[in-house]
Amino acid sequence: MDHKTPIRQFLRDLLARKSDGQPFSDDSSLLISGRFDSVDAVDIVVMLEEKFNIDFAEIGFDQSMIDSVDSIDSLIRSTHAPKPCEGDAEERREQTGHVSKS
Amino acid sequence: MNVNVTMTTESPADFRESMPASFRLIPRIETFPKIVSFAQTPVGKLVLLAIFGVGLWASDIDWLPLTFALLIITFIPSKRRLLVTICTLAFIFLVPSIHGPVPLSIVITFLQVFALAAVLFWCAVRWPRSLYGRRPIIFLLCAFWVFIELGTILPRNGRAYILLWQFLFILSTYIWFIGYSLLDANSPNHDNFALQLGVYSPFWGSSNTPFPKGASYLRKIEARDAEQLAVTQLKGLKLLAWSLLIFLGLRWSNSFFHDYLRIPTFAEALKLSVQRQPLPWYGCWGGLIFSFFIGLMNISVTGHRIIACCRMAGFDALRNTYRPLSSVTVAEFFNRYYYYFRELLVEFFFYPTFLRYFKKSPQLRMAAAIFAAASFGNAFYHFTASLDFVRVYGLWRALMSFQVYFFYCVLLAAALTMSTLRQRRKVHPGFLRSRLLPATSVVLFYLLLDVFGSTEHKYSLTEHFRFFGHLFFLNL
Repeated sequence: MDHKTPIRQFLRDLLARKSDGQPFSDDSSLLISGRFDSVDAVDIVVMLEEKFNIDFAEIGFDQSMIDSVDSIDSLIRSTHAPKPCEGDAEERREQTGHVSKS
Repeated sequence: MNVNVTMTTESPADFRESMPASFRLIPRIETFPKIVSFAQTPVGKLVLLAIFGVGLWASDIDWLPLTFALLIITFIPSKRRLLVTICTLAFIFLVPSIHGPVPLSIVITFLQVFALAAVLFWCAVRWPRSLYGRRPIIFLLCAFWVFIELGTILPRNGRAYILLWQFLFILSTYIWFIGYSLLDANSPNHDNFALQLGVYSPFWGSSNTPFPKGASYLRKIEARDAEQLAVTQLKGLKLLAWSLLIFLGLRWSNSFFHDYLRIPTFAEALKLSVQRQPLPWYGCWGGLIFSFFIGLMNISVTGHRIIACCRMAGFDALRNTYRPLSSVTVAEFFNRYYYYFRELLVEFFFYPTFLRYFKKSPQLRMAAAIFAAASFGNAFYHFTASLDFVRVYGLWRALMSFQVYFFYCVLLAAALTMSTLRQRRKVHPGFLRSRLLPATSVVLFYLLLDVFGSTEHKYSLTEHFRFFGHLFFLNL
């Protein structure tokens, strides 16, 4: 599922509210580079809580988690990834022949 | 993911000002391709460092060891982080000995504090899911508070008393640095403790507030190649030039307004009010305004110089102070005035509160988080930075003497809450209503708030209110 489009739009709107019309790419730093401040970070957090059911109190929070479109996307993917038990994962690897690079 | 350091990262607040401006007092040399290319050559690096060294010398600080440290780091960029640690340790243990021998007991106490930090960091990394691993900052701050309590009940002038307070004084200067390390410990790609140590009061300068935050931030803003390093260093040089210009302005302002025009400082005006010989209302305002702008220039000079050195070492940190007078909201001013202090409050107090409590009530959630940071966190920070006062007068009297500053923190938090909640609602059209009037109101608010912003603990809250009354022709 493509999460990046709505994220991009949300971030663009947030920047527009700060009169910042400069473009950004998916890997552009927005928070650590200073384009967003902590109040904007709060808006992103609330959006992720409401739309993607992410609970930062549970998973921990670091500004770099929501620093760019890419990082937000990977955060959503990691929190919504199915968590199979060891046996299931092993079985699926055997079926697909997939070997994890990590 | 990398932070693209070639991108302009001047502002801690927003990017409006980074759009092309018609005139710049100090040109954006980091955008001139020929200068950037030259700064990548060995000769260019030496020239840059030489100019920077002259700037440091003119800043009235210990310029030689600092320039030497920057020289080494510039020419061995592959070992930058390790060299930062080595230089920081050299600045703690070796550089002070230029001016006189450092007592062995002090050296041992520093080592004890670092050993404690290493143990805390190791435990947080080793047991991330334990109660301590999930809440290391609460453990750190509570343990620190217990040590302070212990210090106030030990028999005075005994050996344990002296050793404990010596340990506490040094620990108090490192407490937030250790805190940033503990926050980083949960990160999957955290630095080892040797690299964490490099940003414990780093050699480029700091206060009790870590400039610029911790090792985690440093990893993200480090220059990745020769071009990024050149751009970052040129921005550092530019910032040092700003620091020098404001430094000159500060000296001139002091001699002209204070020495020549005899405008008092706020402290002097307050003292006269306490002695029941208050200045007329315009004298009180004069003192308040003068001290406000002197404070603003002081923090700009120091912050710019520290961040300039940090950038020279290859880290593209944001400025500490960035055009605070252009702020149109109370919250924006707080963001622009002392960025790294605000970041400390946000990371240690705001986020933990916001992410855990009152999730069903957005406004209450925001208010609670702001009060946790700007009120509790702010007061806690300043209280623990005044340990000598606690040692001399005891915990209870020290707390009582902080009444004025506690009041200041509550006022500030209330204003920040209103500002943050209000700014989400409406934007006025036109320069007068959108910029000038709000900016003036913000400065006026902080001027009046400064009446209660003293951390000197000399006078009661009543005396500060009495001075406040003098500003409005009231003799209370």
